[in-house]
Order: sequence, then structure tokens, then C-alpha cells
Amino acid sequence: MPRVSTQLGEKAPVRKTLLLGWIVLVLAASGYGQAPRPQSPAANQRAFLDQYCVGCHNQRAKTAGLMLDKMDVAQVPQNAEVWERVVRKLRAGMMPPSGARRPDRPTIEAFATRLESELDRSAAAKANPGAPALHRLNRNEYANAIRDLLSLEIDPTSLLPADDSSSGFDNNADALGVSPALMERYLSAASRISRQAVGDPATPVSEKVYALPNDLTQDTHVEGLPFGTRGGVLLRHNFPVDGEYLIATTLSRGGKDGGVGSGAADTKGEELEVSVDGERVKLFNLASAPDLEVRIPVKAGLRSIGVTFAAKNYAPVEDTLQPYLRSMFPGGVWTVVPHVGSVTIRGPYQTTGIGDTASRRRIFTCHPANEQQELPCAKKILSAIAGRAFRRSITDQDLETLTSFYQVGRSKGSFDGGIEMALRRILASPEFMFRFERGPAKPGEVYRINDLELASRLSFFLWSSLPDDELVKLATQGKLKDSAVLEQQVRRMLADPRSKELVSNFAGQWLYLRNLQSLVPAMEEFPDFDDNLRQAMRRETELFFDSIVREDRNVLDLLTADYTFVNERLAKHYGMPDIYGSQFRRVTLNADNPRRGLLGQGSILTVTSLATRTSPVLRGKWILENILGVPPPEPPPNVPALKENVRPTDKGTDTVEVLSVRSRLEEHRAKEPCASCHKMMDPIGFALENFDAVGQWRTLDGRLPIDASGQLVDGTKVDGPVNLRKALLVYSDQFLRTVTEKLLTYAIGRSVEYYDMPAVRAIVGDASRNDNRFSSIIVGIVKSPPFQMKVNVEESAVRK
Amino acid sequence: MFITKKHIPRRTFLRGAGITLALPLFDAMVPAQTPLGKTAASPKSRFCGIYVPHGAIMSEFTPATEGTNFEFKPILSPLEPFRDRLLIVSGLEATTAGPAPGESGGDHSRSAAAFLSGARAKHTSGVDVHLDTTIDQMIAQKIGQDTLLPSIELGIEDIGYTGICGYGYSCAYVDTISWETPTKPLPMEVNPQVVFERLFGDGTNAEQRVARRQEDRSILDSITHDVAHFRKVIGPSDRQRLDDYLEDIREIERRLQIAVKVSADAPAVDVPAGVPQSFDQHCKLMFDLQALAYKADITRVSTFMYARDNSNHTYPDSGVTVSFHGASHHGNKPSAIETFAKINKYHMQLFAYFLDKLRSTPDGDGNLLDHSMILLGSSMSNANEHDHAPLPVLVAGGASGQLKGGRHLKTPDNTRLSNLLVGVLDKFGVQRETVGDSNGRVEI
Repeated sequence: MPRVSTQLGEKAPVRKTLLLGWIVLVLAASGYGQAPRPQSPAANQRAFLDQYCVGCHNQRAKTAGLMLDKMDVAQVPQNAEVWERVVRKLRAGMMPPSGARRPDRPTIEAFATRLESELDRSAAAKANPGAPALHRLNRNEYANAIRDLLSLEIDPTSLLPADDSSSGFDNNADALGVSPALMERYLSAASRISRQAVGDPATPVSEKVYALPNDLTQDTHVEGLPFGTRGGVLLRHNFPVDGEYLIATTLSRGGKDGGVGSGAADTKGEELEVSVDGERVKLFNLASAPDLEVRIPVKAGLRSIGVTFAAKNYAPVEDTLQPYLRSMFPGGVWTVVPHVGSVTIRGPYQTTGIGDTASRRRIFTCHPANEQQELPCAKKILSAIAGRAFRRSITDQDLETLTSFYQVGRSKGSFDGGIEMALRRILASPEFMFRFERGPAKPGEVYRINDLELASRLSFFLWSSLPDDELVKLATQGKLKDSAVLEQQVRRMLADPRSKELVSNFAGQWLYLRNLQSLVPAMEEFPDFDDNLRQAMRRETELFFDSIVREDRNVLDLLTADYTFVNERLAKHYGMPDIYGSQFRRVTLNADNPRRGLLGQGSILTVTSLATRTSPVLRGKWILENILGVPPPEPPPNVPALKENVRPTDKGTDTVEVLSVRSRLEEHRAKEPCASCHKMMDPIGFALENFDAVGQWRTLDGRLPIDASGQLVDGTKVDGPVNLRKALLVYSDQFLRTVTEKLLTYAIGRSVEYYDMPAVRAIVGDASRNDNRFSSIIVGIVKSPPFQMKVNVEESAVRK
Repeated sequence: MFITKKHIPRRTFLRGAGITLALPLFDAMVPAQTPLGKTAASPKSRFCGIYVPHGAIMSEFTPATEGTNFEFKPILSPLEPFRDRLLIVSGLEATTAGPAPGESGGDHSRSAAAFLSGARAKHTSGVDVHLDTTIDQMIAQKIGQDTLLPSIELGIEDIGYTGICGYGYSCAYVDTISWETPTKPLPMEVNPQVVFERLFGDGTNAEQRVARRQEDRSILDSITHDVAHFRKVIGPSDRQRLDDYLEDIREIERRLQIAVKVSADAPAVDVPAGVPQSFDQHCKLMFDLQALAYKADITRVSTFMYARDNSNHTYPDSGVTVSFHGASHHGNKPSAIETFAKINKYHMQLFAYFLDKLRSTPDGDGNLLDHSMILLGSSMSNANEHDHAPLPVLVAGGASGQLKGGRHLKTPDNTRLSNLLVGVLDKFGVQRETVGDSNGRVEI
């Protein structure tokens, strides 16, 4: 692989020599040039195009809008955008299409490599690092920032509206705009949070209802709750002050008023336990308790509230008619035991004090003993908070503003009141809510962002939150530029628990895990599917991705790892024996286990299915987009929907036609304009047909045997997930580029454009010498021009 | 939020007018030249748009006879006490909720967007969403400018996830029925507590609410002052959005001027404590808040969504345990039709609660219902087939003497819903020849 180093500031001439050397090596090794000897490399490239591409991609046919017949292969950089498209399709093995004449892989690779080296060389000479729009903290980043700034956990959904996403991620600056209604919410959030952080003895009564999903089965133990308990929920709730709170539970089954199948549940001997931080505060006897409400004193701060049943009976059902794993259905139940429907926490009543909370300890680093000490102490507190909030050193001007707000608050009440008022001003400041980046006045200038801005980009990338004191300190000292320091900081940050945000935000969106929450597979088809399974699927993939990050594994392990994580519920779903209990554990998978890697995980298989059946199209599309980085275009207009499969009714008629999904899709691949894309998507999806729409292994679809065979675009024959995995691994380099591209999109908060691709290739190239370790890709991104540099936006728009 | 490029003529108008803001509480102070004085509509009419997804069982909805002496069918029977303030408009078609020629599917994804815009959602799942300005916002731009909030948008279901909401349509089309501009959907607020605070301010009593709003004003003052100096040092790309932000800050400052007075006069009602668990209570609270907002003249325009399309909400209070969307696909089975009709009727029972609330709230020379106009309906008819005609639609309220109730108006088959939207705008003095895909006007 030729490469362009990502290290900024290296001497260019040395690099060019190296680069040329590499190209010669690669060309020689790939057998390129063994064909009839061409006069020049350009002529050779032209010959390739003429032979394999221009049959379709010419000015007459204009296939895919691509006209390669008249493009000058000697001047690749002039049409960088088009050539990047060509490279991408070739690297993913998508072109030439199946059925067309196709050179062998080394020849294709050599052709692509040649294009890439031209593109990379031109980018090295004149980089366009792009320019993300002004970034507003999204709801999640805002909550994390508050947590790190004030040691206060807030529920962002009650304070701010949801953010939209773009290019697949909700931290995309283009989608993070402003409006008066939104700014009002930020203003009111500032007020509310400051009060809560400082502690407000006049906190009014408020309530929060935690409703449990109605498809949550509560027949077994819930992870995190004490052993010997069954069902229920473990909540984390922030209590604003020391005082009394009401914890009220309703039952979705077994309750006195309403609830599915109420009255039918056997409540005799059933007990419900309410606990705060693991300590039992109440035990209700369901048969005799008049209600399930308990009012108890609770200390301010974040507490774990457990509401669960004492486990009474685990006797298996001895019957030929085995119950479904999902316990409750609208209009029916498969369980004999009561279930919790919701938990409401209301209060405070009888506030006894503002309490000694983590946030107070974090804010009040000094306590004035008399009035003379107040102002100096306030200044100390406020400059510390403002420095962290604004990610920079605080000026006299800043402090003057904050002091004036402090004094307004102080004059109305106490020292605390003054701090609260100034804190409110800090949180309402645009410098907290936005990530401003200073820029030169000169339009078109390409420049390096400053160290403090780099510190923010780093922390919002890896932690979805503010930079910590160490980062800010290094940035202030001007040390963050230093490549070794930067790398050491990245490793420190990845090791920090805050990097779990990469799992929930990056992986959660890249892999569509977030969509799992709202998916409801059809009950009639998948009666076992319940929320327990939904959560277990999500958790498996999160733990799996987390293991790649924490153990700094080869990123290819995402496709091939010999392990995964399951609990009893998921193991049952996967047909893995001898796994008991609600806790997740790592299990080893042998080489031909179809569950290896992301493509064998229930989460991915379910989010790419429809409610009633699998969709080979969606699965194929998902893999093209997220594994191979070649998203197919939207379907053209005028496409009739697939005829739904007709199932025999209870009355049983012989005339109904039962078609497999496969045969129904046949039409797609037979006719244009569908065929060109569906020939790419569908065979990939067919290879996964042994996994049903909720990712369970099957050999029959209805009454028809599964046929998982198919031929991929590059001619490879596959007949199941194991083969498919192997076939995809041929394009592992393209997978690494795709992961890098997605990570880069997420890191810089803008869509990745063709002019970023040289950087992507360089990052992947560097990482390959490091076993493709996750950290090496992250380090590569952090050191790349798009991450470290910026161009004036007008100029960048022109270049686009 | 999708706001990348903003164009808000409303604000330009305000600044151009020198911000002579009249408080609604002091009507006498309204300058004689205010555009409101010129409109045909009474300045105090309120508009409310209510969207119910998934259509209805039409045979149980539409009265058999036209005109004034119709008999109520079961679904609408809860509204019988309000007959004199009710106009049922039947025979309409939501043309733009259906697929474009050559397109198929996506009916649920376009329905909410079509309801008040009469326009077809641009087929995109990216940030380049495009619809038409909805009529509630046209009305707000006409009559909402001197109230604290030009409009409020309320809903029941939070947006659980973002991205694509089926058939390659952005969730923006499904999450709201209100669009301030063709590119700017307005989010629906689901938390009654948040709505209350937007209306009256944050605090346990009037004094506290006033104080906090005044503090907000001084914070904004200080921010405006601050921003001016660092505007110079930031990059040009950031500057544009900072300017948008500043414009928003000015708008909030304008609102706060009014808000401080509103807070002082806030009614002595309990502040909602959060999102209630029961749909019944949640829905009623949202209706209460709209009535409160109208009464205090904090806003004159509101929109409300019973649910998002494809909602799997269940309504235990209706006596039905099947989910809303599930029940709507009744497969033409009589028992399933009966079940879905029960949900339809239940939704109308809650609407009757709102009408009752409005009627029992005195306002000027009558009550709030006399001075309101509520457009309630769906963009689907028989949801089992995703039909978009004939729609269940009704208009309630007196519109300050401009709307005669007690009628069933049968429009020629497949009259466009957008034609009715033109007719609704007429009553608010918003002169539009067309709305969305309209090709005429339903005179009401």
C-alpha cells in the first residue's frame, strides 16, 4: 500500500521519494504491467478504463452519471471527486458488475492504487481540511458537560428537545441549529441546573414517572437487583434536596386497579420490595397492602431505587403447552406472577436541608467564614467553573461579569444565592453551549486550530463532553501540538470510563443500535420477543464494541472475533446451552460459528428486518453502507411494493400461494432499473437468511426450506453467514476505510467528503502497521488534517 | 432542529415596526394601525389544529344526512352537547398524504406533514427537509405577533429516536404538524411542566416567576454585550450561526418583556409535576394548558397531536387493549372494526373535554369556545388500506361569530383537504388564493 503520512509538519520531499518507491514496489508485486507493455502509466490506466468501464460509463449511456470515456487519466486531481467514486467502487469489489467481464483482483487493485497515489499526492501538496459548521452541544453532550462540570446528573430529555441528525450522527454540526424556542430551553435549563447544583431549599414538588415497557417479562431476576428477587426495575434517580419523597408503584399485572389480566395473578404470598441504594425501605405484602406507596426520607443526590418482587417460585411449567418467553401480550398473559408497571417518585415533602451533594462539594471549594472572605471565595469558585465551562483561561473581564451577577444574587439572599446566579450566567453563555473556533480574517486560509480548540475536539470526540483539567492544562501550555503528548493523551482518554460514550453514541448510531428501542417485531410471528431480549441484544453489541475499544483490538475483530457476550435470555435465543442468570459473560465461539462478529448478532439482524419477516434487501444495504462503505442509491420511482406473502388461514385453503422472500425478490434482480443495485444487495442478504427477523437461527421459512446461497458481485459464491464473512474479509481494507470514515464523520461533526479520502487512506495505512488496532485508527484521526486544521468556509465551498 | 438557513420575516417586521408591542392585557393600548385592526377576523379569535393519526371507521363517523338536522354516529356522539358549535366537513381527500405519481408506500410518513400544509413532504431523510408553511403558522404570523408566544406546539409522544421514519422520509415529517417555514419544522413539546413554564415562567409563585424572568433578561443583556466582542475573533463560518443566535436572543428578550407581565398575572393553578403516566391525564392536561394559554392571551395559536403515525400506544381507558396502529389495521373484520371505532370514540371523548373546558371559560362577551376555531382531523380515512379519502374532519368553535355550527357540510367527493385550509385561513383574515395543492376553496 502506498501511503501519505498523516504526520503534519513532516518534510515533504522525503515523503515523495518514499511514496514513489512504494508505488514501484506495489506495481511490480501486483503483476501490473505484465500485459502488453504500455507506453506510459496513464495509457495503461486508460487501457483499463476502455477495456472494463467505458462500455457503460460513457457519454452516451451515462450509466450512474459517470462518463469515463473522455476523462483525462493523466490529470486525476482535476476530477478528484469522480475518481474517488471510482476508487471506492473498485475497492469494495462492486465494479465491474456481475456478468460483465472482470479483470482479476490484483489488476483492479493496481489500477485503484495508481489512482489513489495520484489523489494522495495532490492532497499532500494542497490539503483541504474542510470546515465544520459551528457546533452546538447536543442534548447528550450537554448532559455530559454538566456532569463533568458540576458532578450533577441531569435528565436532559426533560430540559432540552431532541436533536436531529445528519450523515448518520446527531453530533453533526449542520443539524445542530438554533431557534428562539430552543434558546429559551437552554436559558431555562441554565436556571434549573444552577438551582439544583447549589441546592434550593424551596424546591417545589415534582414527579417523575418511570414506566416499564409493556413487553418486559418479569418472571426472572433482573441484573443489578439482589439475588433472590424477581422482575421489577433498578432506577437511578436524582433527589434534589434532603427531604421526604413518595415512591409509588403500580402493577401491570396483579394490580387491584386496571392492568392486563388484573385479578388473575396469584398475589398470595407475593411481596414487593422497595430499596434505596440497596437498603430495603419497605416490603409490601401484595395480598394485604392497601396501596403500594411509601413515603420516606431520602438524602439529596443520585440514588439507586430498586423496586422488585421477592422470588417465590421458579418451578418450571410442566405442560405440553409451553409458555412463550414473553410473559404478557395486549389482551393476554402467559405468566402467573405480578409485574411492575411503573414507579413514580414524587417530592420533596418536608425539605430538611439542601444536603451534602456531590455537586455542592464540587462547586464550593471554599467556605467563607465571614463577609470579608466572601468575594475572594466567590471569585475562586467562579473562575474554576467558568474555566472548565468555557474550556479556556478566564480573563479579568470574564470575572468582572460573573462577579456582578454574583453580587446581584448575593444582595437578594445568601452567598450560595450569589454563586447560583453567577453559575446561571455561565451556563447560559454561548461559550458554554457552542464550540467556537477562532479563525483568521483572511478568506481561504488553511490554518491549524489552536491547542484549546484541539482539546475540545478531542474530548467531544472521545468523551462527548468537556475536556478535563489535564487536557486544558496541556493545551494552555502549548504542549498538545506535540505528537507524543497528543498520542499519550488519546490513550489516556480511551482508557478513561468516559470513552464509553463512543459505544453508545458512535457505535449506537453507526450500527443503528439506537433503532432497536423502537422496533416491535410482529407478536404473531415472534411471540417470544420481549423487551428483555431487545435489551440483551443491544447490550451484547455494546459490550462487544466496548471490548474492541478497551482491549485495543484489531478492528477487523468486529467481523471475526472468536467471542461474544450473552446472558441467559440471549443464549436461549441463540440456542447456546448451559448459560444461566441475568448477567452477561464472554463466551468463546468456534471458527464455523455463525454468531461470530457483528453479522451474527441479534441486534444487527433485527434492526435490518421488517416487523413480520426478514429483508435481505435491508441487510444487504446495511452491509454495503456500513461494512463496505458503498451505500446504494434510493430506489427509483415507480417501484411497486413487494406482494406480501399469502399465508394459509385457519380454515386452510389449498389455493393460497406461499412464496419465500427469496422468490418474491427474484423480480428485483431480473429487471432494470432494479437489478443493477439488487444484484449487489440481495445476495448478501440471502446469505443471512438462516437468521430470522429477530436473529434466531432457522432452517425453514414457514414451510419452505431456507436457501442461503447466492453469488456476490465479484463472483464469489456464498451459502451462509460463515462464507459471507470470509467473502467480506477479502475487502477488509475497504472495511477499515469505512470504519475510519464513519469515525472521522463522528469526530469532526461534518460529513466526510471526497477531499477527506486521502486522509482516510493515510490513517488506515498507518494503522495497518499497528495491527489495525482501534487506538491506532483513533490516533490517526486525531493527527489528521481534517481534525487539526480548518479552511475558511467560503473557499471550501468553492472547492466543493 | 433543522435550522441551517433562517428566514423569518416576522422578526424583520417587528424590528421594522419599531417594536411597538402592545400587551394583550391592555387592548386599548394597541396602536390603531396595527394590522390586526384591519383584518376581517376578530383579533381575539384563537386557532387550534388537532391531528389524530390513523383515520377512523368512517361509517361510524360521518352523519348519514347533510345540513343541520343530522344524527350523530357513535364516534362523534361524545360531541353532541356541542352540536351548535360543530361543523362536520365530509368528503375531503388528503391528496398530498398519498404517494406521488410513481411512488408507493410511505403513507404514514407523509400524513402528519400534509394535514395543515396541504403539501407533499419532500422525499428525503437528510437535513434538506422541505414542506410548506402550515396554516397555523400563517395564522400565527398574522395574529400571534403581539402575544408572548406566537404559537405553541404540543404532543404526547416524545421522539424516541431520530433519523429515518420509514420509506426514506425524515422523522421531521412525522414528529410535528407545524412548520414555521418550508424548511423549519417546530418540535412538539410533550412535557406539561415545560409547557406551563413556557407560558407562565418557572417558579412556585408569581413573585418568583417575575423575578426569574427579570433575571433572565439581565443575563441576556450581558450575553449580547459579551458576544459583540468575541464575534470579531471567531471564524467566518461560525459567525453566521452566531448572528442567528443573536437574533434569537433578541426575540427572546422581546418575549421576556411581555413575559414578566404575564408571570405577574399567572393564574393560581397547580404547576404540572411532569409527564403523567396515563394518556387520559396527559391529554387532558395538554388541553387545559391550551385553554389557559388562550385565556391569559399568552398565545392565540396552538397545535396538538394525539399521537405520531404508526404509534403503538395503547389506551386502557378506552377499554381496548390493542395498540393504536395495530387496531387501525382491522383487516375489515367486523369485531376488529368495532375495536378500532372504540378508540376513535375515546379520542372524541377527550376532545369533548377540551370543548367543555373552552365553553366554560369566560372570554370577553362570551366564552373561549365562541372565540376559537378548532380544526380536528386526520390525513387518513380507512387506515387499514392507508386510504386518504374520505377524511374524518370537523371544525369546532364560533370563530368570534364567523362560524355557524350545527351543520354537516358534505363536499363533492375527493375535494382536497387543502381547499378547506384556504377556507380556514379566510376566517383569520389571511388572504391566500392557494394552500399546498389546493384547487379551490371550501367555504365554511
